[in-house]
Amino acid sequence: MTITPPADQDPVIYRHRELEQIAIASLGCARVLMETGSRVKVAQECCRLLAIGLDAEMSGIRVGYASIALTLGSGANTITRMVTVNRHGVDYRLNQAVRDLVVTASANGLQPAEITARLDATVAGSKRHPLWFVVVAVGLACAAFGGLLGIDPGAFGPVFLAGALGQFVRHRMLAGDINPYVATVATAFVASVTCGVGARVAGSGTVDVAMIAATLMLVPGVAATNAQADVLDGLPTLGSARAISVFMTMLFAATGIFVAQAVLGLHP
Amino acid sequence: MTPAIVHVLAQAAFGAIAAAGFGVLFNFGWKVLAWGSVSGAVALAARTIGLDLGWTLEGASLAASALVTTLAVVVLRRHLRISASAIAIAGCIPMIPGAFFAQALIGTFNLTTAHPVDPTGTLVTSAISGLRVIFTVFAIGAGISIPIHLLRGRDY
Repeated sequence: MTITPPADQDPVIYRHRELEQIAIASLGCARVLMETGSRVKVAQECCRLLAIGLDAEMSGIRVGYASIALTLGSGANTITRMVTVNRHGVDYRLNQAVRDLVVTASANGLQPAEITARLDATVAGSKRHPLWFVVVAVGLACAAFGGLLGIDPGAFGPVFLAGALGQFVRHRMLAGDINPYVATVATAFVASVTCGVGARVAGSGTVDVAMIAATLMLVPGVAATNAQADVLDGLPTLGSARAISVFMTMLFAATGIFVAQAVLGLHP
Repeated sequence: MTPAIVHVLAQAAFGAIAAAGFGVLFNFGWKVLAWGSVSGAVALAARTIGLDLGWTLEGASLAASALVTTLAVVVLRRHLRISASAIAIAGCIPMIPGAFFAQALIGTFNLTTAHPVDPTGTLVTSAISGLRVIFTVFAIGAGISIPIHLLRGRDY
């Protein structure tokens, strides 16, 4: 909602400052949504809802892979602000919490400072599963992928252990701010070598398939479906950027597996 | 039970476990995790039945993802207020042919070695794997997107 400026302040400058605060709050929410796995349309809708709730007009928005720019207007006043988007990941619970915050803020006309404060509290207080649980779950998922690919019974244990170890390595590398593609190739190598050795010891006849199954947690499924959704939504530029990132991730994962196969002498 | 039913149930179980694993990785809460797991089981059961009926991988994947998404929109979003797209994506991720993708890329790596063995066969195999990846991923994406658009199940 528009607040009447104090008598000693220029109304144009005052409104500009108001719009700037609205833009910063909107971009903060949109950035978290993009970093936690949303499609572009969701980030756009977030900014539109907040602009409506705070009595501003969204004149334009450009959502890129690494930044978001937003132009807000109010009468003759307009302002454009931009925010950097960091590494794209998936965090469903945080994503939903931010969406709920946006809906509440829009419906109740929360002031920008309060939105920003609530966003910071939401990000800081977001719950995550403990690392050991994620590691075990990913190991089981990789073993299940192995089942879908037709590995023999002797390979299930090695795939589970290698998938879990790979997820642990990946988590530690990403937490240490290692480049995501470097983390991908290292994870793929560690998981597939471990799985290959384990499957051989277990006498498996499907070592090569098991080595691939142990790395399938690296497949960027959400990014792949978001890429297509963005293109279908009429946003081919970001959709293409996502598709390239999917291809690069798979290229690095395949490189890790290829090197692991060479180390174990599986190449013809 | 016939071997065909056992095969479908086994694939559904693997699909449920794989979807749940990805759900944990994506930080789903417990209720959403449970529904994501059910979604994975339904998706893999539907795809396996399609494949057993002689459909192509792409056609079976399209039908399975469309079925799961439709169920997610109609049952979960409308009655339980759970994000339909999240459940659908979690269920369909086990169908993304990551293994074909890896095989296609590793095949092309093998082509560039100093003395490739059967380069023609390797190239054809890699190309087929690559095309299956592209068509299957598009089929899954279409299977998720089309019902959400038609049923106005897009959640904010």
